[in-house]
This record gives sequence, structure tokens and C-alpha cells, in this order.
Amino acid sequence: MKNRILIVDDSFYMRTMLKNMLTDAGYEVVGEAANGQQALEMASATRPDLITLDVILPDNTGLDVLKGIRLEQPDVKVVMCSAVGQEVIVNEALESGATAYIVKPFSEEKVLEIVGSALQSSDSTEA
Amino acid sequence: MKSREEEYREIFMAEALEYYDAMSRHISELEKDPTDEKALHELFRLMHNLKANARAMGFNDIGEVAHQMETIFGLIRSKERTFSGSLVPVLFAGVDTLGNMIRAVDQDEEVPNADVLLRNLDLLVLGEEPILEAEEKPADEDASRKLELSDLVYIQIKKLDHLLNLVGELIIDRDRILTLSQEIGNPALQTAASHLFRIADDLQYSVMDARLVNVGSLFNKFPRVVRDVAVAENKEVELTINGQDIQIDRNILQIITDALLHLVRNAIGHGLETATERRRQGKPEQGNLILSAQTERDDVLIQVIDDGRGIDVEQVRRKAVERGLVSAEASKSLDANAVRGFLFEPGFSMAKEVTDISGRGVGLDVVKLAIDSLGGQLRVDSVLGQGTTFTLVLPTSIAVKGALLFELEERSYAIPLMHTDSVVSLQPKQLHVVGGVLMARLLSENIPVVDLRTLLHSASDGVLLPAVKAELQGRQDIIIVNYNNRKLGFIVDRFLRQQDIVIKPMSKPLDMIDLFGGVTLLGSGQVCLVIDVPALTRLFLAKRP
Repeated sequence: MKNRILIVDDSFYMRTMLKNMLTDAGYEVVGEAANGQQALEMASATRPDLITLDVILPDNTGLDVLKGIRLEQPDVKVVMCSAVGQEVIVNEALESGATAYIVKPFSEEKVLEIVGSALQSSDSTEA
Repeated sequence: MKSREEEYREIFMAEALEYYDAMSRHISELEKDPTDEKALHELFRLMHNLKANARAMGFNDIGEVAHQMETIFGLIRSKERTFSGSLVPVLFAGVDTLGNMIRAVDQDEEVPNADVLLRNLDLLVLGEEPILEAEEKPADEDASRKLELSDLVYIQIKKLDHLLNLVGELIIDRDRILTLSQEIGNPALQTAASHLFRIADDLQYSVMDARLVNVGSLFNKFPRVVRDVAVAENKEVELTINGQDIQIDRNILQIITDALLHLVRNAIGHGLETATERRRQGKPEQGNLILSAQTERDDVLIQVIDDGRGIDVEQVRRKAVERGLVSAEASKSLDANAVRGFLFEPGFSMAKEVTDISGRGVGLDVVKLAIDSLGGQLRVDSVLGQGTTFTLVLPTSIAVKGALLFELEERSYAIPLMHTDSVVSLQPKQLHVVGGVLMARLLSENIPVVDLRTLLHSASDGVLLPAVKAELQGRQDIIIVNYNNRKLGFIVDRFLRQQDIVIKPMSKPLDMIDLFGGVTLLGSGQVCLVIDVPALTRLFLAKRP
């Protein structure tokens, strides 16, 4: 069974790139959300295994979205996507239950490594 | 085919130019009202995105400026700076510089040097006074500064429809001119005609291409629909969406919207069982619903797949006999696919007992009509207890359809490829008469075959006489069509060729109009009727001996 991933990013460019990287690596991208509201709806409807979550979104911050998702789905793995200069938010996200984070601009290897190990952590806790 | 790098670059440019426009707007808003938090948040977000995207593309100069701008907007957000004083012209200059840099990248020019700006941004970050030089001024004073328009155009679909109709007319005239030029045989005319041919071809595909949208634009509305229906029906449903990137004509997507909504609602409401029932059957409590799109040759396949209770073919068969849709005798020879086809019969579904069979049915005839109007196909496959799959086979574009041309009584006819299954030539000994109907056995399937000439005549004189095998002389050219899970063979005089045709509606009144989906003009100028396979299939079923 392919792992199912939801991508949350307000930039179409970033979403396209992430989707290609993840799809090529054999993951199934179940949806793409461009803002916080969409992210919450799609997370709830698609029930992904993992969510890549941009820290800055048009309607609210990634942090709010993370907390919203956590309330409903405590098990889903969330990888925060941030850029340099947002260490404070990233730390807070990790404290609020984010599984891992990636710093933009990211390389394909890095994305796959972090996503892979975030999903692994899910397997081991379930086992 | 575009390489991925080109695709990324195009997306980056389109988005960067959009960001620049939005930044220019928001910074003006902020100047008017320095406490406008929404504008401030947007500026921060846009800088953030531009920075990340530019760095991913390797445009580090743009990334660096956007990064410093983001930092300062961040400081304004956290109230460590105010949008006032010497900071204002520097930030305006920053937005302008970003615009120039983006344009330069777009046009493969050298990216303008931003050292002065970066130095001032650094000073601002450190809380020091920027050094405003003469360089800051020219940008403001430059009355001839360029105004940039977006590269994206929003257009009413009506205008594209008109364009497509014109292209359709053009293609018909083009084919006519090409044929004439061959008849006349003048080399200069032939060269011009073949050039016209290529140009018109390009034009046609460009117009068709401009109308394509991602299936995702419809699919992405479904997570919400599924969630709401699932809650209302008290079912647990996991939705998976595949193939959002598949492209299809916008009007086709529009036409199938209701049909898809219907199929999804049906699948959740009637196809999938409740969690309790599923547990009893040893299935996972959560029902699976898959919405997928894929391309197959020139068609787009859209599927709605559930792992619910499936369709009980025997019950559908009994109901079909009860409703008089088929005789008890004939029903026995129908395979499961043909039986499931009854679900799409008008009225069949409306009866309560039928909805109880499987829950399928409510409004399926409406779904069927929508797909038929597009010249598409609707298929249903199901395994009792394991689930049901509805497949919509749709043309990518509405303008041009692949068709098979054949001859009957010295006239040309066209039959859309969407409905043709195969083409065979059979000797009389390979055909048998069963119950007054000719049957061909192909790949272990028994397929009824009818002489198309006789079938067309039966529409006006009202009878289809039992087939007589002795009337068949020599090889028979047979086109096997597939409609509503049912195969049927038409005997024609001669196969001609395969060709793309533009179907025009017929001018009324024309006899037997229901049997033809329209007309097309061949290059020879000859009018060619386009067979309506659904109508002919229904005619055959109504008239069969």
C-alpha cells in the first residue's frame, strides 16, 4: 500500500515540485491545498498518512493548521516546510507535534529522506 | 513534450510576475494605511514564497533581495519597525528591483545589480539609517517606467466556443480544397493546399489545447462532497483521488459534473455498506471510494470505484424481465455486462424494488444521457460483495472525433470510433441464426449481427424480419459497436477508412433524424451521415424478431 500524502503550500510552484518528487518516489499525493481552510478540509476528507505543511499561508499560519489537524488526527505525520529565518516557528511547530521539518529550498534527496523517516517513525510506533 | 525544467520555469515565472503585481498593490495599500495588517501579512507571505521559489530555481539574487525584504516586513509585523520614514522608499525600491529582476530572468537578460539596495536593507535590519542616494530617485521620477501586464488571460468560455466552431468550419473547407487541388493537379495549388492543411491542423490543436483544463479542477471539489454525504449517510468513507493532472475540454468537464456527483452520491449512499455491515462481512469498516482519471489513446477515462456491496446481476435480470425490457427467453442469453446495462434504462431505476436490489439506479439514466450527449460511453463493472466500478469514457475534445467511414448503398457514412469495438470480415459460415437473429461468435462471445440496410429501413416500415442466412453472399464486412455494455454488429457494404471528422448538427426536418448524430462533409464535398450508435442499438432492441 502506497503511503498517502497531502501537500499544503500556497505556491503552485512549490506544490508542483513537491508533488513530482513524491510521486516519482512512489508516494501517492492525495491532494494539494493552497490555504489553511482547504488544508483542514482536505486533511479531514482524505485522511493522509503524512502532510507537508508550509509555515506561512494566506489565511492563517501553518502553526494554526497544524494544531487544527492534530486535534482531529493525532496520528498523522506532519512535515513542516519552512525557509531560513523561521527557526522560532519551526521550534514551536515541533513542540506542537510536528514530526519533522524541511528548510526551503530543498533538494529531492532531502525531501525523500525526511518524508521517508517521518513515515518510518509512524510504522515503529504502531508496531 | 515539455521537460520538467521548462515546466518549472514557466510556473515560476507566471507565479513570480503575479507575486510582483500583488506586492506592488499591497505596498501602495500599506503606504495609505501603515496599520493595514492584511496588506502587511500578504507582503510578508509573497516575499517568503518568492524567496523560496527563486532559491529552488537557482535565482539566488532574487532570493537574497526577497529574503531581506521578508525580514523587514517581519520586523514591521512584530512592531520592531514601523512603515515610515526612510524605510518606505527603500521598500518601494525593493519591490521595483524585484520586478526588474524577475523580468530580466524572464527575458534571459542579465539580472540587474542590487548591491545598493541590499546594503540599505542590511542597514534597516540592523536598525540603522539607510543611505538614500540619487539612485533611489530616478526610479521614482522615471515617468516612462514600464507597466507590466499579466501573462495570463481570463477568457469567457463562450468566446472559445465560437473560435472552436469557426475552426470546425475551416477544417471542412480545408479538406474540400485539398481534394479539389488533387483533382485539378496544379503543383502550386497543391503546395499551397498542403500548407493550408498543416496550418489548419496546428490551429485546430491550439484551439483545442486552449480549452483544456485539469480534471483536478473538478475532482478537488469532491473531498468536501464525500465528507458531507458520508456524514449524512452515516458511513465511513476514505476517498482517494488519482489523475488530477489529466486534461480535458472544459465543457466536457462541465457536462459531466452532475453525472459524477450522482455516481459519487450513489456509491456512498447505496454502494458502500455501513461500518457494522462491513465488519460482519469481514471488510475494513472504512469504505473505499476512488475517483480516478487516466488517458487511454485519445480518450479520457474517469472512474468511480467503490468496494461496497456490488450489483446482484440475477436480481437485475429478473426485474428487467418483469418490466418487459427483455423476454424471459432472451434474458437468459445475456451476459452479466448486458444485464447491468439495464440499470441505465429510463424508468428502470425509478421503482423502489429496484433501488433495493443494490441501491444503484436512481437517476442513472440521466447520467447515461449526459455521457451519450458527449458521444462518450458509460460502463459498469461489479463483483457482488466486492464493489462496483463506473467508467466514463470521454473524448478529450468536443471538436473533432475519430470516425470509421464505410459505404452502404453507395453512400458514405461515419461511425464514431468511441463506439466501435472492432471491425471484422466474416464468411457466411461463421454466422448463425438464433431466434431469427444472426449471431457471430467472436473471442468466445456471442454477438448479435444485423444488416444495417435492413435495420435502417425497419425504422420507417416498422418491421425487422427474421434473418435468413441464405441471403448472405460472400464475405461480410461487420462493424462491432459497443453501447451500454452491449455489443452489436452492423453489416455494411464496404469499409472505407478511418478519419477525423467534424460533426455538424443536422438541419431539420430530416427523416429518421433520431438515428443520426449529425452530418459531416468529406473532402470530396460529399455529405456523410454520422451514425448514432445509441439510437441504432435501441432501434435494434425494439425491432428484433
